[in-house]
Amino acid sequence: MNEIIAIFLGMVLINNFILVRFLGLCPYFGVSKKLGPAISMGIAVTFVMTIASIATWLIYHYILIPFDIEYMYIVIFILVIATLVQIIELFIKKTNIALYFAFGIYLPLITTNCAVLGITLLVNTVEDYSFSHSIVAALGAGLGFTLVLAMMSGIREKLELANTPKSMRGLPIAFIVATLLGLAFSGFGGMV
Amino acid sequence: MGKFGKEFLKGLILSNPVFVLALGLCPVLAISTSIDNALGMTLAVLIVLIGSNIIIAAIRKYVPGITRIPIFIVIIATLVTVVNLIFHARFPDLYESLGIFLPLVVVNCIILGRAEAFASKNPILNSIADALGITVGFMLALLMISFIRQILGTGNLSVFGYDFGNLPVLGENPIVMFILPPGAFLIIGLLLALFRRTGVMKGE
Amino acid sequence: MPAKNALKNAFPMILLTIVVAIAVTLLTFTDRLTRDTIEAQEEQKIQDMLSEMFPDMSRYDFEDEIYTIYSDGDKLGYAFIAIGKGYGGDINILVGLEDETTIKGITIISQEETPGLGTRITESPFIDQFMGLNIEDVALSRDGGQIDAITSSTISSAAVVDAVRTTAMEKVKLLKDCE
Repeated sequence: MNEIIAIFLGMVLINNFILVRFLGLCPYFGVSKKLGPAISMGIAVTFVMTIASIATWLIYHYILIPFDIEYMYIVIFILVIATLVQIIELFIKKTNIALYFAFGIYLPLITTNCAVLGITLLVNTVEDYSFSHSIVAALGAGLGFTLVLAMMSGIREKLELANTPKSMRGLPIAFIVATLLGLAFSGFGGMV
Repeated sequence: MGKFGKEFLKGLILSNPVFVLALGLCPVLAISTSIDNALGMTLAVLIVLIGSNIIIAAIRKYVPGITRIPIFIVIIATLVTVVNLIFHARFPDLYESLGIFLPLVVVNCIILGRAEAFASKNPILNSIADALGITVGFMLALLMISFIRQILGTGNLSVFGYDFGNLPVLGENPIVMFILPPGAFLIIGLLLALFRRTGVMKGE
Repeated sequence: MPAKNALKNAFPMILLTIVVAIAVTLLTFTDRLTRDTIEAQEEQKIQDMLSEMFPDMSRYDFEDEIYTIYSDGDKLGYAFIAIGKGYGGDINILVGLEDETTIKGITIISQEETPGLGTRITESPFIDQFMGLNIEDVALSRDGGQIDAITSSTISSAAVVDAVRTTAMEKVKLLKDCE
């Protein structure tokens, strides 16, 4: 149980995907202007990350390793993710068309989200987690991602009303906010 | 100057991948902790980007709509795997420093973005020019950030084992924050603002 | 006509299959090319670290996760890998034993600690403290042992100390059981 808590907290706070590992930055700066879409994006990404981790773990341990073709992992993992996102896209289109349009182009873009490929690489090739630990890690990573995305969009919504210097508006000030959030989060180090 | 030159320059400043298009930010922030890493990553991106641009430009007339993205992905992923294996075998220290960001080149928006936006619609020679321009733009941005982070964060200027020694004040007491994640965000934010202010590069 | 249409419709899939086939061939080729070099490298890394720790080493065995170091016929000592939970992640440590009670020394294989602070566990004052130390004395001075922690990096220091002590005791027990 201790291990699971350690892994989970590690992924959410201590080694936060966005603020510490630098994974998932593109949507971070692209979708974080309003709270609503930010949270939806966070949940969608968490979902994809978890399913992708499960799928890639199974493939890695039951196909790639036994057949001695581990070097194929990059190609296989990204294809799995691309397929997954396609399926999810079709599913959302069929069941909730409003949500589909709300996501817009950002749904297929989840395929190129470094956080998704990142978590699959992390649990399989870097950390070599067991099946259950992988799922915990993926959920934690996704939650951490969503958390920071939500914080960021809340702050940026307020920033819209502030008098930001012209050259700072938009992306630059978002980075400064990220700096401060990152500094705050680094206080979690050594927690476990 | 010709079309070749024009495409090359475009990737450098007008469409600078990092400061203007804000593509491929993940590796830029993570890898910029040292100049060695920056150069190593540039090499990897160069090989993959030129390779994918050439191949995709070459087959662009035969690739139908539906299977376009999967084919691009397979091509790029293959190139990245080759680079990954070769770096692991030939440049083990670089391989270790780059860590998961080497395989992550596969989802680097720069590469897929150029394939989609340019190579699939332009002849081979122009696509090569585009790849070179974008890579140089990427490299300059990365070097700029890495240089600042390495100097301020470690006070030590050493490139590929050639140690130019420590700086007078910073060598003893480097501002460690710049090597850490928050520092990366800060430097890029300030650089972006600087470029916009001086009008060198336009933003959104 | 239907046959021609069928071919046209199947073309995307055919092209995809061809591309995949070429990709797989290229990858398998590259793998064959690099696999031996990569494996040799891993081996070389360990060997380099072991010979730095035991300068007179001529060969070594690896069994049950313990390296036994020899100089021609004589047994020089043992070595094993200990993993500590550091501030920023796992700390991989190579621990050398002179015999079943004394540490020869340690080498930090990999760590992700804070630069300038926790990373000092790889440097001289800290690491040297382990050389020739009795396993029983491997503990922080605040806990009654002989190791001084690095100022403001107690977590990194403690992680190394705990890992070395615990794993050393484990391995020594294993060695004694085998005799």
